[in-house]
Amino acid sequence: MPGDHRRIRGPEESQPPQLYAADEDELPAARDPTRLRPVYARAGLLSQAKGSAYLEAGGTKVLCAVSGPRQAEGGERGGGPAGAGGEAPAALRGRLLCDFRRAPFSGRRRRAPQGGGEERELGLALQEALEPAVRLGRYPRAQLEVSALLLEDGGSALAAALTAAALALADAGVEMYDLVVGCGLSLAPGPSPTWLLDPTRLEEEHSAAGLTVALMPVLNQVAGLLGSGEGGQTESWTDAVRLGLEGCQRLYPVLQQCLVRAARRRGAAAPS
Amino acid sequence: MAAGFKTVEPLEYYRRFLKENCRPDGRELGEFRTTTVNIGSISTADGSALVKQGNTTVICGIKAEFAAPPLDAPDRGYVVPNVDLPPLCSSRFRTGPPGEEAQVTSQFIADVLENSQIIKKEDLCISPGKLAWVLYCDLICLDYDGNILDACTFALLAALKNVQLPEVTINEETALAEVNLKKKSYLNVRANPVATSFAVFDDTLLIVDPTGEEEHLSTGTLTIVMDEEGKLCCLHKPGGSGLTGAKLQDCMSRAVSRHKEVSRLLDEVIQSVTHK
Repeated sequence: MPGDHRRIRGPEESQPPQLYAADEDELPAARDPTRLRPVYARAGLLSQAKGSAYLEAGGTKVLCAVSGPRQAEGGERGGGPAGAGGEAPAALRGRLLCDFRRAPFSGRRRRAPQGGGEERELGLALQEALEPAVRLGRYPRAQLEVSALLLEDGGSALAAALTAAALALADAGVEMYDLVVGCGLSLAPGPSPTWLLDPTRLEEEHSAAGLTVALMPVLNQVAGLLGSGEGGQTESWTDAVRLGLEGCQRLYPVLQQCLVRAARRRGAAAPS
Repeated sequence: MAAGFKTVEPLEYYRRFLKENCRPDGRELGEFRTTTVNIGSISTADGSALVKQGNTTVICGIKAEFAAPPLDAPDRGYVVPNVDLPPLCSSRFRTGPPGEEAQVTSQFIADVLENSQIIKKEDLCISPGKLAWVLYCDLICLDYDGNILDACTFALLAALKNVQLPEVTINEETALAEVNLKKKSYLNVRANPVATSFAVFDDTLLIVDPTGEEEHLSTGTLTIVMDEEGKLCCLHKPGGSGLTGAKLQDCMSRAVSRHKEVSRLLDEVIQSVTHK
């Protein structure tokens, strides 16, 4: 990149070979709109992070690590009435800093390692969805850093990152009200548009609208919602949200088992 | 008791082990951590490899794109390495542009690529002066527990051996490239550079494959990159305590034996993947 002298220089610009390929575009195959891809989740795999989780759903591979609590940067923010349950007053509550990044080799085209506006938006979406679940009042003047790395984008990347981030926070022993489970949806265009649960990358590329919902399964409360596109009527969006929430509930038992296994492993490894 | 001593006097704690010719994790001074490699797991990349050396984990993904060859070398392509040390691998790294350590590691990898001639840049040229391949080699450290240079070099080598490039022909009439994504061929990897890192303790003792703590306590580090038949590709000694010639020779012989171990492991893995 011009002017970026911290990295090894390559050519000024480059094009992916797919632009010159003779193949026609593949269309996504028809499938049951409520199918969820099988998920592999594992927590507690990085040695240097306080908590970590790896989630694989179809072709999407996400790794998330949590570090902290660390002293928050940025000056004192005065007191106020104390929160319920011995928590710090609202102005002194802890902060959650979320960082979402895509590996350069995760998509069809190579992305520059710098990232851009989209990654910042997704980082903010992660933060907004995780904040309701974490008891930040128990970490006054501290910050928790959550970093999600997308190794391969096979569709519903944000949803997978949300789930992995919640698992990593739980693995780190951060106090939480509930886990956060994410689910992606996309609207397949056509004469009768249908919402597809857990889309693959191909389905997302051919979609007219996309939606990610984040649910706290036990409390049954929506933690986050991010959607965009031409979805049609409002009823269409409400149907989509309902479908997404069902998907999150179905995913929850797998994550519970993953955390139990991780706790067992940790218990077995630690010398008593 | 031991944990308390370790926190207060880490160097003394280590010296006690080194006196008995072993290390706290049970290894001998010349022993490597268990190394595992997994290739071809990222399907969006043209070639990928994940290397785990003890706890240190590095993933390498290679993407190939088209570009115009450089003006001063119209018959060559590009190989652009980039090492990323994100905050998730260790708490010492922050988000933002690459720090010093990432830049040093990127430059080291670039030097290894250049000196070992692992890929001849002429092989990457499709049409001199007009079109050539660019191989973007992105290495991301997932877990930083010392000895990142060895893991990165191994991941890069494994990923390069896994890269498959589609066939490209230049259409004479339109002068445009035509890519056949169905027909893919492997890269011609001409060398097998393998890196071996050492840490120097108290200016005299050399230990192989240091962990994160050992690197922190060491007084110097040394990395030797060996190729087939004991050919030396690269020697990286960024300051630190001096070494006698005899010690250097010992290191080189250890590097030669490590090269054999790593080559055998890589061959086994590649065989098992291609046989599927």
